[in-house]
Amino acid sequence: MESLKEDAIHHTAMKLAEELKNLSIYKSFYSDVQKLVSSPNVKKEDFKHTLQQAMKEKGLDTKLRNTVFHWVRSQNKQNKLDPLTSLSKASAQWEKRIHKSLNSMCSDLETSLAKVRSQSEQEDLSNKWNELSTYNLDLTKYRPVYAPKDFLEVLLTLSGYVPFTKEGEPKWEFAHLPLQVKNLDQLRKIYVEWTNGEPLLGVNPNMPSAVSGFSTIEAERIGLGERVTALGYAPVIQEYLKKGSPQCLRAKLWAQVLGADVGAQQTAYFNRLKKSVLEVDLMIDKLIFKDVQLTASNDDQYFVFEDLLYQVMLCFSRDSDVLQNLRGCIGNPLNVTIKGKQTSADSITVFPPSGIIPFHGFTMYATPFCYLYDDPVQLYFIFRAFYIRYWHKLHYISTHPQGIVSLCLLYERLLEANEPLLWIHFRNININPIRVVFKWIMRAFSGHLPPDQLLLLWDTILGYDCLEILPLLALAILSFRKENIFQVNNIQNVDAVLADLSTISVIPLLQLTLMKPQ
Amino acid sequence: MNADTKKLISNQYGRVNAPPIERCRVNFCTDMEKSVLMSNFERRGWNQVGQDDEWNFYWASTQTCRNLFSVESGYRMNDNQIINHFPNHYELSRKDLLVKNIKRYRKELERESSPIAEKAEVVLPGGQVGTRYVHLDFIPVTFVLPADYNMFVEEYRKSPQSTWIMKPCGKSQGTGIFLINKLSKLKKWSREAKAPFHPQLSKESYVISRYIDNPLLIGGKKFDLRLYVLVTSFRHLKAYLFQLGFCRFCTVKYDTSVTELDNMYVHLTNVSVQKHGGDYNNIHGGKMSVENLRLFLEGTRGRAVTEKLFSAIQWLIVHSLKAVSSVMANDRHCFECYGYDIIIDDQLKPWLVEVNASPSLTSTTVNDRIMKYKLIDNMISVVLPPDGIPDVRWNKTPSPEAFGNFDLLIDEELLEKEEMASTGRSFKGHKSRN
Repeated sequence: MESLKEDAIHHTAMKLAEELKNLSIYKSFYSDVQKLVSSPNVKKEDFKHTLQQAMKEKGLDTKLRNTVFHWVRSQNKQNKLDPLTSLSKASAQWEKRIHKSLNSMCSDLETSLAKVRSQSEQEDLSNKWNELSTYNLDLTKYRPVYAPKDFLEVLLTLSGYVPFTKEGEPKWEFAHLPLQVKNLDQLRKIYVEWTNGEPLLGVNPNMPSAVSGFSTIEAERIGLGERVTALGYAPVIQEYLKKGSPQCLRAKLWAQVLGADVGAQQTAYFNRLKKSVLEVDLMIDKLIFKDVQLTASNDDQYFVFEDLLYQVMLCFSRDSDVLQNLRGCIGNPLNVTIKGKQTSADSITVFPPSGIIPFHGFTMYATPFCYLYDDPVQLYFIFRAFYIRYWHKLHYISTHPQGIVSLCLLYERLLEANEPLLWIHFRNININPIRVVFKWIMRAFSGHLPPDQLLLLWDTILGYDCLEILPLLALAILSFRKENIFQVNNIQNVDAVLADLSTISVIPLLQLTLMKPQ
Repeated sequence: MNADTKKLISNQYGRVNAPPIERCRVNFCTDMEKSVLMSNFERRGWNQVGQDDEWNFYWASTQTCRNLFSVESGYRMNDNQIINHFPNHYELSRKDLLVKNIKRYRKELERESSPIAEKAEVVLPGGQVGTRYVHLDFIPVTFVLPADYNMFVEEYRKSPQSTWIMKPCGKSQGTGIFLINKLSKLKKWSREAKAPFHPQLSKESYVISRYIDNPLLIGGKKFDLRLYVLVTSFRHLKAYLFQLGFCRFCTVKYDTSVTELDNMYVHLTNVSVQKHGGDYNNIHGGKMSVENLRLFLEGTRGRAVTEKLFSAIQWLIVHSLKAVSSVMANDRHCFECYGYDIIIDDQLKPWLVEVNASPSLTSTTVNDRIMKYKLIDNMISVVLPPDGIPDVRWNKTPSPEAFGNFDLLIDEELLEKEEMASTGRSFKGHKSRN
């Protein structure tokens, strides 16, 4: 028995060692270990033990552990085919529609999807790289490919199964999709610290601390957080984030838990992305400019960061690692010929290289990070890590339990089970309840909550490593404002009741929802 | 904690926290019918009257106020009347007088050998060594022209490569301001401006200050802070800071190159200037809240430096007020709301640029309107006694519930009482030990 177990561990270790060799950090890591081996600390007589000790002292031990942690997290995505064929069909059709719309926009505007930038254009763009808001583009004819509203329409027709609804009655198809979602009690078991009423950051920072030596909960969290970030061990940081991070440590903690620290290698990579933006003009660049203008530039929380966001979003579109990481989750992007390039292997490009077509509001996935990082490279890698781990699930159709379909379904079930009167009210006034919260969920509340509240919410996403908090918050807000919703009877007025979330205290509201004895 | 949470939530809902206010007969008078003012007066059920009627609460322009207080008018206020300006507010709001008062205040403290007036040697940008106040160095080196011209030249020579900013003393909203980086340019200007250095020929005086050429930039853009400070008394000093201040951003990237020296869109943050720039945005108006500034600084620079900056700002405000408190006519009928303009440099040190005695109540955006509405609402709650009727016999000590979004900056009367209480205690303690 013991030997069997040992064999299994040995086998896993061998497999891991093989996998590590394929990672980008391997080369530098290996050379660091080599250097260490040749140092006087490592003795030939007691090689294994002294090397382990030396690795611990140099921090290479933590680095190795974190690498394994990040590798394991990146593996457990669904690689099997979608079990619901109707979903995969719908997803393919939706993708086709997007591609068609891109192509027709191109022909309407008499431009091409991809073309080489002229020398003068390249210079102009390069000179204005740090103030792209002054880069002159006529965008009046460009429209976002789709908006959350359009995407919701697609989701609402997913099952193809129409129950007995009369003409003009809302369709409640979500509820008929054969997907498993959790109920509130099951959620309570996930967010167990919250359910138990443990003190959280974001409720009252001046609440007295239960730990001796700290006067307030905020001081306690800062003290603990400083130790956690110095230790640098990703799983511990993840655990820490469950109860919220103080703003002053957040930038570091988020980068650590996502393995998104920036070094020379990342800076060089970012510069390569920038170079490819400068060289090739993709039609999507205009859509990106348009999106930043429509969202961040007009938002009093984010307008200052406009120039950073142009850089980050443009580079993101060129990042083929995104496509690599999300293969199987985001469909099949177009291949297009770059106009003005001599026919060769590299005159064909994936459009766009990241595989991601932005929708109206896409930039909002990146804007809140501007309150944590003022360096574009750091901002970029955090945004990319968040996107690959979480955000793509919010705008691609899948059966993933964290995917948008399941989250919508979860919201509906939670509402029906926990706010039955509100549910009936929505039926009576003929409004599908998902309509009033869909944009919140799809944008992970970015642009809807003030940044300090949003960052607290995103702590939770990282801490519990799941997105179920989004539909739960949607439910909590509705339930909090239900008296006002009962007063109104059309969608415009419901939207008006829910339009301003600037006074919402996210953490207490969520904790109350989870603590309420049923 | 559960009860805590609930209390917090119950306070959260609703856009503007507007508890029902007892309707009482207060007659108000105003000579500027701004909507943020009128809607506040209306919500309180006040009654509008003319200047010659029996008013209790006057929201006046500085000019009206001066006329009212002038000897010629002979107007005497009764105990149930208050007005929104101190008669000689210009001691604080005129650029030359502010500088004069602060310089005098420092000298006084120095004479008393107060530790606040400590001095230390610093290396100036030009490499020369100069002495600066350690704790009271919160206005850029400034001289009044033409009076202090020789002193200016002496200072100029210490660091000839720095840039200086010229401002007319009596004007506001960025008019008449320009930058110079050569003494010859100043001389040229003085010739062209028809000898303003001969006071008998031109009434207008200027202040010239070292230009803060290393401002803190966010997203590559320069900004300044507009904070609102309410003073209800100068002796004892009682002052409050409004939490909802904002940052005003330039629409153009900051650039110190000589070619951009004349581009005021780069250097001046005044909304009245920026509004004319091509990139002015009507939705946010180039304004970001101070809360978000704090969030950004804590996130990117850390907590300790952010806390230090904000307490340095409070320090600056308190000492600028103390600098004028001895010369202010401390009429009990008066209160005043000042607009403080502050620039933060890239070392996170705040600099007082100027103080405005009638900050704009025009709203440029929706958020701006909400903020200014709250400003007026909270201000009225702080300046009126609990029964809501102006009364100069009241001790001007509102309960913390009346503060709204104001924080108490200083209340010397309270401090004095506390001090007496604590020395009394320690005295007793001393006695018992004996």
